[in-house]
Amino acid sequence: MDEPVKEVFNEARERAAQDYKNQRRITIDPITRLEGHGKIDVFLDQKGEVERAYFQVPELRGFEIFSIGRPAEDMPQITSRICGVCPTAHHMAATKALDDLYKIKPTSAGRKIRELMYNLFMLEDHALHVYVLGGPDFIVGPDAPAAMRNILGVIEKTGLDVGKKVIGMRRRIREAMAYLGGKVVHPVLGLPGGVAKGVKADDLPMFKELAKDGLEFAQFTLQVFSDIVLKNEKYVELVTSENYTHRTNYMGVVDDQNRVNFYDGMIRVVGPEGNEVVKFKAQDYLKHISEHVEPWSYVKFTYLEDIGWKGFTDGPDSGVISVAPLARLNAADAMATPLAQEAREEYFKILGGRPVHYTLANHYARVVEMIQAAETIQELVNDPEITSTDLRNIPTETPTVGIGVVEAPRGTLYHHYETDERGVLTKANLIVATQNNSARMAMSVEKSAKGLIHEGKVDEGLLNMVEMAFRAYDPCHACATHSLPGQMPLRARVYDAEKNIIQEFQK
Amino acid sequence: MTGTRQKPILVLALGNDILGDDGIAFYAARALQEEFSAVADFTETAEAGLALMEMLEGYEYALLMDSVMTGQCDPGTIVEFQTEQFKKVVAPSPHYAGLPEVLELSARLGLDMPTGMRILAMEVADPFTLREELTPDVARALPNLVDAARAILEEWRASVPCTNTH
Repeated sequence: MDEPVKEVFNEARERAAQDYKNQRRITIDPITRLEGHGKIDVFLDQKGEVERAYFQVPELRGFEIFSIGRPAEDMPQITSRICGVCPTAHHMAATKALDDLYKIKPTSAGRKIRELMYNLFMLEDHALHVYVLGGPDFIVGPDAPAAMRNILGVIEKTGLDVGKKVIGMRRRIREAMAYLGGKVVHPVLGLPGGVAKGVKADDLPMFKELAKDGLEFAQFTLQVFSDIVLKNEKYVELVTSENYTHRTNYMGVVDDQNRVNFYDGMIRVVGPEGNEVVKFKAQDYLKHISEHVEPWSYVKFTYLEDIGWKGFTDGPDSGVISVAPLARLNAADAMATPLAQEAREEYFKILGGRPVHYTLANHYARVVEMIQAAETIQELVNDPEITSTDLRNIPTETPTVGIGVVEAPRGTLYHHYETDERGVLTKANLIVATQNNSARMAMSVEKSAKGLIHEGKVDEGLLNMVEMAFRAYDPCHACATHSLPGQMPLRARVYDAEKNIIQEFQK
Repeated sequence: MTGTRQKPILVLALGNDILGDDGIAFYAARALQEEFSAVADFTETAEAGLALMEMLEGYEYALLMDSVMTGQCDPGTIVEFQTEQFKKVVAPSPHYAGLPEVLELSARLGLDMPTGMRILAMEVADPFTLREELTPDVARALPNLVDAARAILEEWRASVPCTNTH
């Protein structure tokens, strides 16, 4: 480092350290009920008001290096192993990137089987979030004791039968996924040009029964959400409160009629007024999506290149984008299936029209998407082609570059591979869903902290309400880092100006 | 799907073998698989929470192995946890603190869960970097984890009557 640069650097560091000492600091570490772990730092000023709030996550390192030199065909298996939570999303994005790499389209039946697998996954994953991860905030209540805001609390509130229904449905969906993918967690279904396994005609009744029950389950979930959340004025007030509102751009994959599609289509971005800003193919993602780096986070914050990075702000001039259920419903003109479309209309009616800017509406949008996933499963299993044995087209082209995109439950997921002529990887780049949401998520944490914490008054309920801001996005950080259950209690600490702990929460 | 499994014991290895030390449980489980295949099923998973409930259901005994970062021990140290310990730590996360909820939920739903459960973990140094190797301290300690797991499995095997071992 040059001497003058070093001087400025040291001065800046000293100033930052001094500022830090002058602030009282609250840490929520780690965030509960998330996959991966992160922490929130809330900095208070002398009056006890929130000056800044940061959302930090751990880093997953070395993906590119790990990939280079491996055969591209291994990527659907390798990338699915990055994440124990949404392996199917990685598997499918990788499979689609291989289609693109080898310039081969899957057979019609192959595509339908992929879509069947993918919609099963969406239904199961969304259900998990509604009942277990984020839903407890509403079903049990945001002010309820931490020990109750979990699946046990949900069952206490909704009854043991609901618990049995949730567990039973989840198990059956996972069994169907294991049938197609070999195993649930690291599926081996997708191949360039198609799939490895189809549905046997003898087994179709099992899928049909599951499809019927899956749709009933999705509709039941909408009813539960409606009864517990939408009929509770206090909750609706919370969902629509300014603390949880950002007017950003919204990104999602749409079909040729601009309807929500989880598996395939063009990527559409609408602005805060709901107008289309840009629509592009996955292969053009680098022209439209860029990454911004902040010194306080490992996450690269994606933004819309067409507008540019203008900081953590919202409004029509901001390049901040948002993905996941809320964004998908905003980015599309309609749902692709009739009952989901009905639910979507009701959703926009209740929340004041499209686009909806309320972060907590993600939970509601997720339930609407469950219905689309379930209806799509039903359509697919009733399609005569689903038992076809024409599962794969064999690639013949020399590979160069392949880019694939899917809508993961948590938002738009990009896989980008480059290979030599043998199909051996020379480059890999992933933009995961949570990264696409990271700027808005950081804004949500700060805004809710500023809106909720005043005069230094911090209690567990308030901290949970700050956490709720990002839990709604269903974020998944540092995919697949795993630690033994029980070792990650929630901690919240308040420091005085001299950095002494004056208050500590432990859940 | 409640009911007994064909084998009485489940060895459940938690982690991810492309994330360096996070794969320690997988390596230990693989080292024991042949020796105990007559009495135990071996499952490797990166999942947690409710998925564990589905995996554990129907077994008489379950040995869970995982990596852990307490920051209080040297890498390579074996730590044994008791399920009772988890119950005291009420951290509502299906990913990180799923076990107490899973056990409680299973009890409420009347599921057939193992009556004997042991949880072994190894303190690790780096479960964050994508690679297939262990860090040196953890690699050196792998045989210790295998031995500790073997002792538990031998004890359970001895208590299972009339098991066809071949």
